Amino acid sequence: MRARVSTYLAFFAAPKLWLLVFFILPMMAMLLYSFWRVIDYQIVADFTLRNYQKIGGSLYVGVFLSTIKLSIYVTVLSLLIGYPVAYFLARKVRRFKMTLLLLVILPLWTSYLVRTYAWMLILGTQGVVNQALMGLGLITQPQTWLLYSDFAVTIALVHIYMPYLILPLYAVLEKIDPSLLEAAWDLGGGRIRTFLSVILPLSLPGIASGCLFVFIPSMGAFVTPELLGGTRSIMIGSIIAQQFGVAFEYPFGSALALVLMGIIFATAAICLRYGKPRGAV
Amino acid sequence: MRRDNVKIVLGIWTGLVLLFLFAPLIIVAIFSFNTSTISRFPLSGYTLSWYAKLFGDGMLREALWNSLIIAFATVVVSCSLGILAAVGIHRHGGRFTSGLRAFSLTPMMVPRLVIGIALLTFYNLIQIDLSLFTVIAGHIVMTMPYVILIALARLVGFEKTLEEAAWDLGASTFTIFREIMVPFLKPAIIAAGLMSFTLSFDEVVVTFFTTGRENTLPMMIWSKLRFGITPEVNAIATITVLISGLFAVIAELTLRRAQEKP
Repeated sequence: MRARVSTYLAFFAAPKLWLLVFFILPMMAMLLYSFWRVIDYQIVADFTLRNYQKIGGSLYVGVFLSTIKLSIYVTVLSLLIGYPVAYFLARKVRRFKMTLLLLVILPLWTSYLVRTYAWMLILGTQGVVNQALMGLGLITQPQTWLLYSDFAVTIALVHIYMPYLILPLYAVLEKIDPSLLEAAWDLGGGRIRTFLSVILPLSLPGIASGCLFVFIPSMGAFVTPELLGGTRSIMIGSIIAQQFGVAFEYPFGSALALVLMGIIFATAAICLRYGKPRGAV
Repeated sequence: MRRDNVKIVLGIWTGLVLLFLFAPLIIVAIFSFNTSTISRFPLSGYTLSWYAKLFGDGMLREALWNSLIIAFATVVVSCSLGILAAVGIHRHGGRFTSGLRAFSLTPMMVPRLVIGIALLTFYNLIQIDLSLFTVIAGHIVMTMPYVILIALARLVGFEKTLEEAAWDLGASTFTIFREIMVPFLKPAIIAAGLMSFTLSFDEVVVTFFTTGRENTLPMMIWSKLRFGITPEVNAIATITVLISGLFAVIAELTLRRAQEKP
């Protein structure tokens, strides 16, 4: 028994201590601060709900709602664009499968700051898109809505996070037993029917986790809306970050971050509950 | 054989999606060799001067140095702790490990922004001055879950009999860890190390909130972008993307080869 305790400590003491000090305690600190307040640029220990009451005001509710809306757009677009790719990789291709998978994984390793920045070059008034459209004679003046807008933020977030959706979806689609598809085929189900009543329900767990992997980081996005959103597209991440900068409102910022985490956990709980395979089997 | 039209359509779609994923990075790289200070087509000529300018920039060298210190420290601590945790979880099964298992999912559940501001709040509460150390601590929290996940995935293929045989021959837990687990985990350690390095080297959000006066490479890109696009940024960006890409390929190939012949 003593040996077990000592090996337990040998393996877990250091990682758990680090986790406690630099993850759990900071989260607790944030929770604590969310009930405090700032008086004369001093953070004062207090117990007040005013930070949370302030979030209830229409301004912040509005930013939360528009952040949720934009994150849903990003998630749905990623799913529509990424599903066919995952399906192709999992069930249609054999020879270059590993190379193609590597190509999907590769962008995940590259800096999200650089990938955000690249869209500034593409969507700006002198950017690639405007030049191409003007070159083709489709527009006469540079379109300014391309950059510093919801459009720019959405497209960049899809670009950055879509690979996270393809991977779990690929894993689930690859495991589907081919005999199920043959059975559906033999029973007279056409391609579309087979897809809708066999493949799609069986891939629900992959859809659920893949969508979460896009939705959650989009909700917490800060760099992308900051660089591409301008004043027209404001997400809650920028508002939270501001509280820890010049605004010096740590308590209010902490409360905002906790509300954000609440929304994220609620979404995750719903997705994972309804993301179980249904229908077929 | 019947021609599979669905396959052709899906193949073209996949090609277009890959183009969408890579074209922006390629455009940045192209502009980094362009002579004009404005990043626009048509290209005005080929030059390496933006790269040359980087090497002469003292502030940039200092930022690079800081980034490297942070990344190396992160790799060492994050891999050591992460591997210990993964082997421990593997040995102890489900008991007393749920906390660490839940923690290994945090990168998917907790946005970097929240990790950053939570650390900043904590440092403020206990009155610690921000420094390279406070950044490194944050980067370790950020990268350790990836190390645990990569190591656990590798441990799925571990032959328990090997460990049992060593036990029967009287090897201690420590000997087993050093002589059997670590060699077996080597590919996972390499991949996890490369991944931690890349994540840390590219990180801007956690660094933004936990750094004091020290600048890092991504922080420099970030502050330069505030004043508009400059060709130097194209050059720094291209270099960091190439490094990350190289590390990604090495890591993936290492893991894949290990999977083929365990």
